[in-house]
Amino acid sequence: MTAHSDIAPSDVSLPAAPSKDAVKKRGTRRKALGRTLLLPGQLISLFVLVVPLLVAFYMSFTDWSPTRGALSSAQFIGLFNYEELLVYDTRFVEAVLRTLVFGVVCLSLEFLIGLGLAVLFLRRFRGKALLFSMLLTPMMVLPVVVGYTFWMLFQSNGPINQLIELTLGAGAAPDWFKSAISAQITVVVTEVWHWTPLFFLILLSGLNAVPENPVRAAVILGANPRQVFWRVVLPMLLPVIVIAFVIRAMEIIKLFDEVFMLTRGGPGSSTETISLYIYKLAFNDFQLAYGAAAAFLVLIGTLGLVHLLLTPVRNQLLEARG
Amino acid sequence: MSDRPLTMPLALVLALAVIVTLFPVFWIVMTAIKPPTDWNAVPAIWVPGEPTLVNFRTLFDPEALGVYGVGGVSEAATQAVFGSLLASIVATALSVGIGLAAAIAISRYSGGGRATPLVILSGRMFPPAAIAVPFVIIFSTIGLIDTYFGLIAIYIAVTLPFSTWMLKSFVDEVPKEVEEAAMIDGMTRVKAHLTVTIPLIKGGLFATTLFIFILNWSEFLFALVLSYTTIETIPVRLAKYVTATAGTLYGVQAALAVLAMIPLVIAGFLIQNHLARGMTFGAVKR
Repeated sequence: MTAHSDIAPSDVSLPAAPSKDAVKKRGTRRKALGRTLLLPGQLISLFVLVVPLLVAFYMSFTDWSPTRGALSSAQFIGLFNYEELLVYDTRFVEAVLRTLVFGVVCLSLEFLIGLGLAVLFLRRFRGKALLFSMLLTPMMVLPVVVGYTFWMLFQSNGPINQLIELTLGAGAAPDWFKSAISAQITVVVTEVWHWTPLFFLILLSGLNAVPENPVRAAVILGANPRQVFWRVVLPMLLPVIVIAFVIRAMEIIKLFDEVFMLTRGGPGSSTETISLYIYKLAFNDFQLAYGAAAAFLVLIGTLGLVHLLLTPVRNQLLEARG
Repeated sequence: MSDRPLTMPLALVLALAVIVTLFPVFWIVMTAIKPPTDWNAVPAIWVPGEPTLVNFRTLFDPEALGVYGVGGVSEAATQAVFGSLLASIVATALSVGIGLAAAIAISRYSGGGRATPLVILSGRMFPPAAIAVPFVIIFSTIGLIDTYFGLIAIYIAVTLPFSTWMLKSFVDEVPKEVEEAAMIDGMTRVKAHLTVTIPLIKGGLFATTLFIFILNWSEFLFALVLSYTTIETIPVRLAKYVTATAGTLYGVQAALAVLAMIPLVIAGFLIQNHLARGMTFGAVKR
């Protein structure tokens, strides 16, 4: 392939009898290359993620706000912010619980609808590829646009209300953004529309990867289709299901863009998610230190939750990673 | 698994799912081509009788709606379109480049070790609203606030876990023996990666690039808190249009939303088969 003149001796993998020194040298060079390749990524993560996080962590133990001058002159107040959040700040606790409820409701619906559609796609029918693409469309729309679109659809004289009045008669349509419960419904509908396709996609790839032999064996042993599905197929899908839940759970805890466009957390704070609350603390009320403390509580909670969710499949995942 | 045909009731369920899925997109596209009289009509006008591009023109020429006797938007979206293109393209190129180097390091030189996936995942768990707080403070101290440089730096850092792990899953699929053969033929390691490994994952590289572009193009919160006057992106402009003209300029808002959507829908369909891999950090292969 290459002219032999430009071979560096230590790079040839088949020297006649490599001396101990040469092997060692090659090993170090190999490691050095690995480290060099990793360096740019590590540097940018260090300066853009790790340093700001450390600053935020320090800040969360102070009473700093931009109006009080430099961060270095801020008062150290220990765990005061954390105590305030957990014990006295009902708005924070409510935002956390609300986000969790949104998460449970949305993920359950997304999982069930996504699984149903994926099972449908195991059937034989024409135009499958086209319908598959169509069903994935929502995933490809940016969250801000999704939020805006549903904000428009749910307007009091918008298309959804016009359809409702057409079928149920005049006056049947609610003013979606005026009451807490209906505003919460718009958030759930928007989220479910946006992310059900991800469950559908992941579950369908999982279903298609289920090996045929155990299924055949179960059928031969006399299992009916329902038993095959619940007892054979679903357990094999478990890792895929867990991955889908973990990833969506992480995202929904951060839920911001869609709600910002839809309701801005209103009416009142009835659709305020954790991210929206932290955003308002930091950028509307300039309580930056307090907001940082809230963020770390959320991080700890999320880590715990993900750890819990991953437990049933941790070994399989680590094996797959090799 | 089962290869039974679709029965009639199931076909109806499927049809319903497709309609519900496509209706919001249909509505927004139709609104974008409606003249002002049709925007808010009761009963709703599903398909405009006289479709027009005036809403799109208004995005770049705020007075274009004058022909309908409607006041335009206060500010054009030109800068936002420029900003979105600049930030997304530069950040995507750098994120994929840096991610590729890291992916080769992790796959071939086992850099990072086994704990890395969880470390990287935990980076994704922190609410962006909270990372944004120290960013704004640090960036305003060192003069990076309201600059594309600052925004791009954040975009690279935030998408790096995705580009690294997606690319690693592609590099893992290239057998080491191919590179070793090239090295026996006299290539250096670096050259073997450049001329053997990278061409072999061309498809994966393309998919990763589009996937990272989708993430950058969609980003909202960082752009919102880091932009004041000199920089802007499409999502930020859309939010401003909605706040400033709520309930009045539906058509123009929808036109900007459609403009934002077009590149993503194209990119999304091009990498449809890799979406699962991207979304799951390479854990689901197909």
